[in-house]
Amino acid sequence: MSAYGTPGGPVVHDPMTLPADDNVNAYTFCVELKAGQWFLQKGKMIAYYGAIEFNGIGHGRLDRLVRTSFHSPLHASDWVVAEGSGKMLLADRAFDVNSYDLDDGNLTIRAGNLLAFQPSLALKQSIVPGFLTLIGTGKFVAASNGPVVFMEPPLRVDPQALVGWADCPSPCHHYDHGYLTGVMGGLRAMTGLGGASGEEHQFEFVGAGTVLLQSSEALMAEQPTGAVPSAPGVPGGGGAAPGGHGPQASGAPRLPGQLGDLQRRFGL
Amino acid sequence: MFRLQGSKVLAVDMTGDAVKAKNGSMVAYDGQMAFKKLTGGGEGLRGMVTRRLTGEQMTVMEVRGQGTCWFADRASEINLVSLRGDRLCVESSNLLATDAGLRTGTTFTGLRGASQGNGLFTTTVEGHGQAAIMSDGPAVVLRVSPQYPLVVDPGAYIAHQGDVRQSFQSGVTFRTFFGEGGGEAFQIRFEGDGLVYVQPSERNTIAGDL
Repeated sequence: MSAYGTPGGPVVHDPMTLPADDNVNAYTFCVELKAGQWFLQKGKMIAYYGAIEFNGIGHGRLDRLVRTSFHSPLHASDWVVAEGSGKMLLADRAFDVNSYDLDDGNLTIRAGNLLAFQPSLALKQSIVPGFLTLIGTGKFVAASNGPVVFMEPPLRVDPQALVGWADCPSPCHHYDHGYLTGVMGGLRAMTGLGGASGEEHQFEFVGAGTVLLQSSEALMAEQPTGAVPSAPGVPGGGGAAPGGHGPQASGAPRLPGQLGDLQRRFGL
Repeated sequence: MFRLQGSKVLAVDMTGDAVKAKNGSMVAYDGQMAFKKLTGGGEGLRGMVTRRLTGEQMTVMEVRGQGTCWFADRASEINLVSLRGDRLCVESSNLLATDAGLRTGTTFTGLRGASQGNGLFTTTVEGHGQAAIMSDGPAVVLRVSPQYPLVVDPGAYIAHQGDVRQSFQSGVTFRTFFGEGGGEAFQIRFEGDGLVYVQPSERNTIAGDL
């Protein structure tokens, strides 16, 4: 036993006292690998004991694993596979980290919040842009700005506080537009003059399930999830398909003399 | 006598003795205190020149008096380290305060420093007494023993203590250059007998994107 670290001093961890697949403190999570594998986001490993190898998703030997549990090929470069035996500490910019167990379930999470997951889960890109869906049975680790709160639908949440949702409630946008109609209301909404509460836009969840919120409105840095292939009927797919069945013309060139949003708001 | 008040404020009780602390880190005191800037970290002319040359500059003040003095810096978490004749290596930017009886100096760290973007040198603290180091988020203290070597990400490393050898290990392969690296291209391996302090957050390092 070494002489360093004394009773009364800070808690000293070694491979024996580190927890297995549990939090060391609110900001650090310890993963135990026994000749197993974990997917993790690049750069979230802070230290490890034992023999662990980190390989990019594109590594040839991992092809089979990637085929079964990684279905988000377009942001594969942000993920690595840790492989080997030992204990590994994960942390993310001193944010709160927590682990969650899925038992034959599904959970959709903001891409920037997901830190790591077991290969028994399958990671897929959500139809909702910027979100990822995990399906299956296993454990994953997610970061949040402040502790996570679990809520039951029906409810409306602030977009910045939303971390994710489980078991398929239906997420949709909700606008409190009651006082934002008419000419004055339109001007107010656009300029903020005359008072906008900043809470006119929410996400609404109905149906059975759980909604995860972080207890702060500071967003985690967005993690690009990659563009989806542009095909007819795919939301967010770039470029209109020939024949006019592509994405809605939100980015269509505006004709001269058109007032755009303003025009629509005033009902012209 | 160092003690923590909360996790982000260091309180030092003094009875005529002195502590060295990062310049401008005092937030409050009671009793009688005198603050004196120590040019070159209080290591004399030679130390001053060394620090200039190595880029491990730190501006330090000496606080002497009777009473209690409180220190804090940008709401960083503070960790206390007790030294009993052993040596603590810490980046000068992470060092908040030391007992005046502890000797500070600079040492060559080699490639580890380069990969952290902190330069090739680090600050050492030796002797008997207490030191306070800062981290982004509460530090995790990990033991290194002969049977359990430890590997740390350079961006999360803040300090180590004891009789520890460090070596630099690189996972850069041809894949790194295709943007398919393992994400942990540079690592520091610690062997020997001692403690390593890591923070739950990563500084931006050159290696961060590889």
